[in-house]
Amino acid sequence: MNRNQGSLLTSIYTIIALAITMIFFFPLWWSFSNSLRIPKETFTVTGVGVPFINFTPTLGNWQHQLSFPEAQLALTNSSVIAILSTLLAVVVGLPAAYALARFRFRFPPNKDITIWFISQRVLPPAAAVVPFFMIWNMLGIYDTKFSMILVQTTFIMPFVIVIVRQTFIDLPIELEEAAMVDGATHIGAFLKVAVPLSIPAIAAASLIMFTFAWNDYFFASVLTMKNFTLPIWAASDVGTRGIHFWFMAVKTMIAIVLPLILCLFAQRYIVRGLTLGAVKG
Amino acid sequence: MMRWDKKIKLLFLLPAVIWVLTLTIAPLFFSLYLSFTDVTREVIITGETLVPILDKEGKPKTRSDGTVRTKRIKDKELKIKYDWVGLKKYKRVVNDKEYQDAAKFTFIYVIVSVVIEIILGLFLAFLFNRRIYGRGFMRSLMILPIFATPFAIGFMFFTILFEVSGPLAWMGIPFLSNHHWAPFSVMLVDIWQWTPFCFLVFLAALQGIPEDLIEAATLDTKSAYKVWTSVILPLLQPIIVLVILLRIAESAKLYDYIASLTKGGPGTATQSVSFLVFNKAFKMNDFGYASAGSFLMLIAVMIVVMLFFTQLRKTYE
Repeated sequence: MNRNQGSLLTSIYTIIALAITMIFFFPLWWSFSNSLRIPKETFTVTGVGVPFINFTPTLGNWQHQLSFPEAQLALTNSSVIAILSTLLAVVVGLPAAYALARFRFRFPPNKDITIWFISQRVLPPAAAVVPFFMIWNMLGIYDTKFSMILVQTTFIMPFVIVIVRQTFIDLPIELEEAAMVDGATHIGAFLKVAVPLSIPAIAAASLIMFTFAWNDYFFASVLTMKNFTLPIWAASDVGTRGIHFWFMAVKTMIAIVLPLILCLFAQRYIVRGLTLGAVKG
Repeated sequence: MMRWDKKIKLLFLLPAVIWVLTLTIAPLFFSLYLSFTDVTREVIITGETLVPILDKEGKPKTRSDGTVRTKRIKDKELKIKYDWVGLKKYKRVVNDKEYQDAAKFTFIYVIVSVVIEIILGLFLAFLFNRRIYGRGFMRSLMILPIFATPFAIGFMFFTILFEVSGPLAWMGIPFLSNHHWAPFSVMLVDIWQWTPFCFLVFLAALQGIPEDLIEAATLDTKSAYKVWTSVILPLLQPIIVLVILLRIAESAKLYDYIASLTKGGPGTATQSVSFLVFNKAFKMNDFGYASAGSFLMLIAVMIVVMLFFTQLRKTYE
């Protein structure tokens, strides 16, 4: 294959890849562009809706939506629930990840414990949500941030366990042994040597867990009433006076913009995280 | 492996185990119990209390004669009764046409979207594994959908697929109002969000294959097709199987997209098992039906997981 033919092929492949990328990116773009248009331009805009070229952008929809106390409440609730459940999952899950990476359990063996943790991701939430609803009501903690944090922590914990477990396995064990020779305790070796060396993986796992807690709609729609989260708030506008496409676009954007930015930071660990540690990526 | 004493081992592992046990296994057993019972939730009015009406500052409002204005508030008590009914709920679920339709839709939905995602993901991974310009940038754009809030994505596609004047209206397809097309619209959303995930995993796997292996195979057979089928695909096979398993488990949960995109409609054309169970529980107050319905689904998903179990166990060696 000579060089000319090679660069021609590269160009052709680039064009195909670019076209597909654009198709996948289009819905996000359209939603973003929609949120900047005045209502009557929602469907009359020409081209692909580039601000300043196809229409004059306005922040009116955003200001209108963000001015509601409901919006601020939903944002606060979502942030508090997502952040606290991520922290809790890290605090409870990290030692377990370490244990699974460094110690040998006979019964049940390590891999079965790992698979058991992962199996929660397979569990259909529909099977768990009815008991949660009834138990929270009995305990009197229904519709509190506390109960939402309990639920979210449970379902995001597998991520930190499987992602960081692999990182701990990859760490040379000699470092921890050296620290223990120098007089550190088991827990000291874990906290002062293993954890600091795994910070990137822990951070990435946290971003992924945060996103999953943030994105949850199923549990939030059952287990919250007044303490609603962002997705519930996003649903609130539909059906009152027809569909407000422009406000819907703003709400969609508010809900997804944070996860999108975070996921770009966690790129390197997405494969490992979402395949639950099975593919190293 | 370190030889540390048993207490430390358990101290590290147990908090997570206990947490997960109490918050998944316990509710599941409760749910199993509920599926054999008829639950009646009754609000009983036990009496009335007089409560002063407060103004904005929190002081009681008074009438012109100085007496405090009051309102009556009913004292309520929630009574929950559990009646053991044996397999009645399961029989009802199995014979319910609505449940059968929901199960059928969920099944077809899972199969179609997973197959398309895998094929499209493989194709994209092969494409991006070649030398192309701006690969890193395009890769970043491609993976954006993965983390977008699924519920909000439904709304986003509602705008995109809007039949009167949406950006795809020129196609003249009744995306959401026709019961043949609506299921495909929901699948389209799933495919849009999760093809990038399959693509990303396969790309990572492809890049992990040593290049001299492929070169040697190319010299051997001189046919690109043979290299794919006899070298690359077999190497990718365990990862493809794993992705299929993960996608089946995730997409069987289908709820968020239809809750915002079609609300199960038109009619019940896009009603998934999760959606039906949710409605039965929280709109019709039939917790027994909902628990029985979701247990049957859990069993179905478990069977699929078991089929892959040996492979899964090898992965976490």
